[in-house]
Amino acid sequence: MKVALRYLLQLLAPLGLAVGVNAAEPAVLVVSSERGAAYQEAAAAAAGEIGRVGDPRHEVQQLALAELANYRGSAPRLYIALGSEACAALARSATTAPVLCTLLPRVGFERIVRESGRRTGPAFSALYLNQPLGRQLDLVRVALPQARRVGVLWGPDSQFNAPPLESAAQARGLQVVGATIKPDELVFSGLKTILEQADLLLAIADPHIYNSNSIQNILLASFRAQVPMLAFSPAYVRAGALMAVYSTPAQIGQQAGALARAALQGQALGAPQHPLQFEVSVNEHVARSLGLKLDAASLTERLRRLERGS
Amino acid sequence: MNCTNKLTWLPVLCGLAAAAAAQTPDTVSEKDYLEDVPVVLSVSRLPQRLDETPGAVTIIDRQTIRLSGARDVADLLRLVPGFRVSDAFESNTPMGSYHLGLSDYNAQLQVLVDGRSVYSPYLNGATGPGLQAVALEDIERIEVHRGSNSAAYGARAFLGTINIVTRSAADSLGTAVALRGGDNEIQDAYLRHGWGDDRATYRLSADQRADRGLAGSSGPDRVSRVNFRGDLNLGRRDQLELRAGQSVISAGVGFAGQYGNAPRTRTIDTAYLQADWKHNLDVDQDLAVQYSYMQEQTADYFPYLDPAVPVYYGGPIDAGGHGNSQSLTATHTTRWGADLRLAWGGELRRESLVSQPRFDTDAEFVTDFSRLFLNSEWHLRPELVLNVGGMFEHSSIGGDAFSPRVMLNWHVAPGHTLRYGVSRAHRTPSLFEQYARVVYRDLTSGAVLLTAVQGTQTVQPENILARELGYLGYWPALNAELDVRIFEETITDFIKEQQDAGGPKYFANREDFTIHGGEFQLKWKPWHDAQLLLAHSLTDSTKLLQDPAWQTPVAMTGLMFSQRLPGQVDVSLLYSQIDPIQFPYAAVRAPATSRTDVRVAKALRLGGKDAEVSLVIQNLGPAYQDFSPDFYFRRQAYLMLRLEN
Repeated sequence: MKVALRYLLQLLAPLGLAVGVNAAEPAVLVVSSERGAAYQEAAAAAAGEIGRVGDPRHEVQQLALAELANYRGSAPRLYIALGSEACAALARSATTAPVLCTLLPRVGFERIVRESGRRTGPAFSALYLNQPLGRQLDLVRVALPQARRVGVLWGPDSQFNAPPLESAAQARGLQVVGATIKPDELVFSGLKTILEQADLLLAIADPHIYNSNSIQNILLASFRAQVPMLAFSPAYVRAGALMAVYSTPAQIGQQAGALARAALQGQALGAPQHPLQFEVSVNEHVARSLGLKLDAASLTERLRRLERGS
Repeated sequence: MNCTNKLTWLPVLCGLAAAAAAQTPDTVSEKDYLEDVPVVLSVSRLPQRLDETPGAVTIIDRQTIRLSGARDVADLLRLVPGFRVSDAFESNTPMGSYHLGLSDYNAQLQVLVDGRSVYSPYLNGATGPGLQAVALEDIERIEVHRGSNSAAYGARAFLGTINIVTRSAADSLGTAVALRGGDNEIQDAYLRHGWGDDRATYRLSADQRADRGLAGSSGPDRVSRVNFRGDLNLGRRDQLELRAGQSVISAGVGFAGQYGNAPRTRTIDTAYLQADWKHNLDVDQDLAVQYSYMQEQTADYFPYLDPAVPVYYGGPIDAGGHGNSQSLTATHTTRWGADLRLAWGGELRRESLVSQPRFDTDAEFVTDFSRLFLNSEWHLRPELVLNVGGMFEHSSIGGDAFSPRVMLNWHVAPGHTLRYGVSRAHRTPSLFEQYARVVYRDLTSGAVLLTAVQGTQTVQPENILARELGYLGYWPALNAELDVRIFEETITDFIKEQQDAGGPKYFANREDFTIHGGEFQLKWKPWHDAQLLLAHSLTDSTKLLQDPAWQTPVAMTGLMFSQRLPGQVDVSLLYSQIDPIQFPYAAVRAPATSRTDVRVAKALRLGGKDAEVSLVIQNLGPAYQDFSPDFYFRRQAYLMLRLEN
C-alpha cells in the first residue's frame, strides 16, 4: 500500500509536484529519460515487481531525469535508468550505487559504456530492450517455414550485428542476404537487391534506415515485391510489417524489477542481458493479403516453448 | 531533400515535401522501438487476394512484359483469355477486344491507368488510345479483370477492365535507356530519369514507338509520349501522387485510289494531368481524392478529289475536333471489424467535345455524369467471401442507371476456390452516337448536299446482364495456378450503326444477344527459372447476334513459355491462335491465324551499368490478316538494347 501511495505521488511528479521527493529514503530510484507512457509503464511494472514480496525496505521512487538535479533524498541502494538519456546521465554521475540501465537497445548501452568509460559489471549493467537475433530468426522459422533467405538492410548503427546474425542464421539453416546502406545514402538500391533475392526482410533498428520518412517506401516496395517484413516493434506491425517480436515496457519493467530485487537481496547485477519475456504481433490484414495464416498468440507460445527447449 | 540540382520547375513539390520532412535521429535509441510510425499498408492499400476477388483476373507482371518482347499493351493482351488483338492503327491504335468482334473503337471495355479512366470521349469511347498512354517500360503490371464490373471499376467496365498500374517512382530511380530497331522500320526509343529521396520521388520518361505499320496499310505509324510521375509523402498521414503526360499517335491511314478514304496522316494528341491525394484517417480508414483532366485533339483531314463528283471536288473530309474531360472522385475505404471492408464514394465527371465536322456546329457538347458507388468485401465465414457492390450513375446523356454486382467466393479447400456471381452494367451512348451530324455541302453555296450521319438523339444505354461461374486453383507442389471462367453475357439494346435505304447513317439500340462460353488460364512454373502461361477460350457469340463482324472467334489460344538459361540468357516463346472470323469491313471470313514469336536475351554489364541485349522475331510463320482483308502482319525481327543504372 505504501509503495502504491509512493508511486501515486511519483505519478504526480510530472505535474510539478516533485518537491516531496526529498523526504524519501528509497532503496531503488527509477530514473526515466522522459515522462512518456512507455517509461511510466516500465516504471510501474518495476515498482510492482520490487514491492511484490512486501519488504518495507524495498521502497521505490521514480523520477524523471529532469528532476534528478533537484533530488535531495538520500542515496538509493540501486538505480534503474529507463532509456538512453537516463542511463548516460547516471553513467556520467559520481554515484557509487549500482546502475541497471534498461528500456534501451544494446547498441545504445554499448555506446554509453564507450563514451563514459564505465565498465559493465556488478555496478553498471543493462537489460536490453531489443530482442536477441536468434529469437528473431526463430520466429522466421516458426512463422515462415518455407523462407530461407533473410534480407537485412545494414546501416551504421546496425552493421555490427552482421557477423552474429550470419552465424545465428547458419545455425538455423537460413541464409542472410545483406545490403549495406552508407550514411547519406538512400535505401532504394540496397532495398532493390534485397527484394529481388530475399524471402523476407528482417528489420534491425537503425534510424538511418528505418524512420518515419523512409518507412513509407520500404513497406510499400516490400509489399509490392511480396517480401514480408519482420519488424522490431508493434508500431511497425501496425504500419504494415507482417509481424514483430518485441518486449513490452511492462515486460521490461518487470524483469528489471526482478533483477533489482535480487540485487537488493545481495545478488550482484550480472552481465547485460536481453529480455526474457516477449510478445509476437501479427498484422492479420497483411498476412491475409499475402495468403498467410498466422496467429500471434500461438506464435508467441511456440517461440517460448522453443526457448524453454520443451 | 536535394532540390537544387534537379528540375527547377518543381520548387512547389520540393517545398511541400521538405515541409513534411522530419528530423532523422542520429543514433539508435529506445525511441526507435517505442515510437509510433505512420500507417503505410492502410486499408485501401491492401489489395484483395486473387481468391477473394470478385471475378477472373489475369495479371501480366513486369517480368512477363519484359520476357514477351511486346512493344505495346495491346500486343500483350493476346496472353489474356478471350482477348482478340489487332496491331492496326487504321481506326485509332492497336487494341484488344473481349467477347465482341474488333470494331473501330472497342468501347465496351474500361481502361484504367493508375485509376484514371482513359477512354476517348471524342472517339466514341475508344479504348485504343488509352492503351498507348504510357510506355511499357513504365508499367509495373497490367491487371485484366475479365467480366462486367462497373461497381468496382467504373461505368465503362461493361465486358471487362484493363487496369494498367505504372511503376512507383521510387522503384525507377536513376537513368534508363532502351533502343529497339529492326524490320519494318521499327525505331523505338525510351529514355527515363528518376530521382528523389525518402520524402519525394519523381520520374520523367519519354519514348517513341515507330514502324512502317501493317503491310498493306498506308503507314508509317508513330506514338510519341512523355510521362511524369511524382510520389510525395506529405507527413505521416498524407501522400500526394502527381502525374502528367502527353501522347501523340500519328498514323498513316487510308488507301490510294479511295477518294473518300485517301491516304493521309491522322494524329490523336492526348494530354492529361492527375493528382491523387491519399489521407490515412486511422488504422482502419482511408480517404482518397483523385482529380484528373484530359484533353484530346484529333486531326484527320483530306480533300475529296473524286473527279466523278464535281460538286465535292476539293471539298474537305474531316473527322477532326477536340475535347476534354475532368473527373473528381472521392473514395472512403473502411474496415468494420476483421470481416468487413467497404469502399464507397462518388465521382463528378464532365466531358465536352467540339467538332464542326462531326456535329455540324462549333458549339460545345457537354455531358455531365454523377456517380455514387459502394463495394463491400464481407468474410461471412473463413471459407466464404461475399463481394457486393453497386454503382448509380446519372448522366445528362443517358439518364439514370444502376449497375449492381454480387459474387460469392467459396474456398472449398485450401488453394481451391469456386466463384459465382451476377452483375448488371450499362454503357451510356457516346455524344457522337447520340448527336452526330456529318454533312457535305456545296463548296460555293454551303447548301447541304449530303447528310452522311445524323444522330437520332433517342439512343438509350446498352445493357448487360452477366452471370459467371469460376474456379481458381493453386497447387503449390506443382507451382501451378489455374483459373476457369464460365460465363453467359446477355446484352440488350446493343448500340449499332444503322442505315436505311437512301438515308443517313445513325445509331440505334438494335440487337439483343447472348455471348456464352468458357475460358481458362494456366500459370505454371514446371521447373527452376521456367514459366508457362496458357490462355484459352471457347466463345459462342452467334446467338442472336446477326452481324458476323461483331462476333468473336470461337476458339482462341495464347501461350508464353520462358526459361532462364545459364549465363543470364532468357529465352521465350509466344504462340497465339485464332479461329476464322470476319473483320469489321470485310465481306468474308478471314482464315484461322496463328503467330509464333521468339525472344532471346542476354543480361550483361556494360560500362558499369546493367544492360540487356535481346533479339525478337515476331510471327515466324506466314503473314496473317489483321483488322482488314488488306492488312497483313508479316514476319519482323528486331534487336533491343536496354541500359539501366
